Amino acid sequence: MQQRSIQIIGLVLSAVYATAIIWIYATEPRSFKEVATGAQVAAGTYQVDQEKFNAALTLFRREQFRAARDEWQRADSAQSDPKTQFYIAYSFYREGWGRVYYDQVLFKQGLEAINRAIALSPGPLTVADENLQMHSAAELKAELEQGTERTWGDVNPLKVLRTRK
Amino acid sequence: MSDELVIATNKLRNHALVTYVVLPFLFLTVILLGGLRVSGDDRAFIFLPPSLVTLVLAVLLLLLFVRGGLIEIRSLITSANPPLTNVAHIWMLLTLFFACAQAFNSVLPERGLLHWLFSFFFLWTLWNNQFSSFDARRLLRSLVVLFGTAFLLKHLLLASLYSSDGSWLKSLTGALVSSVTLGALDSPQFAPATGYISFFTLGLYLLGLMLISFSHQQPANTSIVDTL
Repeated sequence: MQQRSIQIIGLVLSAVYATAIIWIYATEPRSFKEVATGAQVAAGTYQVDQEKFNAALTLFRREQFRAARDEWQRADSAQSDPKTQFYIAYSFYREGWGRVYYDQVLFKQGLEAINRAIALSPGPLTVADENLQMHSAAELKAELEQGTERTWGDVNPLKVLRTRK
Repeated sequence: MSDELVIATNKLRNHALVTYVVLPFLFLTVILLGGLRVSGDDRAFIFLPPSLVTLVLAVLLLLLFVRGGLIEIRSLITSANPPLTNVAHIWMLLTLFFACAQAFNSVLPERGLLHWLFSFFFLWTLWNNQFSSFDARRLLRSLVVLFGTAFLLKHLLLASLYSSDGSWLKSLTGALVSSVTLGALDSPQFAPATGYISFFTLGLYLLGLMLISFSHQQPANTSIVDTL
């Protein structure tokens, strides 16, 4: 009977350990801090650093997009919060937007961020911020996608009259 | 309860603890650490899953364990055992298999010609050993030498040759070897911690093998020191 309970305990504990190892190899954390953050995400206790998020929002509104992105990346180090990823994508959009041309590199990075936000969000992602002109992730994604596509419309001189959203 | 009965009960309990708790944990730790490297640039963790060749080497090594009598499959998995015991033994063997693969992963160079040279020598040695007569003790000694040599070559000799903070002579030799072989002998630079992790991993792996040998093969009065 005692041997049976040792077998059960051994099997259960080592199965948990094996699952943790598979998870570590699948997520490939780069430091102990990332291991801890990843564990919080897996356990559902992960939260964005609200102070850093607000600081980034202030920078974003002052049009200091790179600094804002840095802060947001620190606030959401696991890249697991859809709202933060939406804002990061928006900052790429605003920084990459130009009256004559769009910065392709920034728009592509923005597209990656918005795709991440959409994948993380359980439903359609909407951000109620009156300072933004696009509130849904779908709108922002469409805008970023249009910016990365090459069409005949790009040579239209009236393009300079467009406004940034 | 007589003293003999107490001793017999304790032996049974210890044997169960080693087989069903300690060994899977040791081997799982080897699985975790065997693929872990620490980057030389930013000290970040790099996790390398076992490559196909390490899985092949692990299969050969397990066959060698069975041939050498280190593992007695017939007594571990048999219809006479309770189902839970069979499951626990299969689980232990599974962890052993992946631990073998990760032990190889730990001492194989990560890429290039050296990776294939090391793999070839391992394959050659294990294949030859399939046709030699072995007992568990000799097999363990042979494995200590095999893994020890590979560890010394990879983590001392090669790491020192390609180290960025070595002497100018070492750097020159490394650069010469790299340029003469057109980068075929190139090796990624890892932090010194990688060598320590590998050493610890191999130590745990060999300790696990010794415990298997001790619990399955040796008479009750034989110590681990005798096994070595």
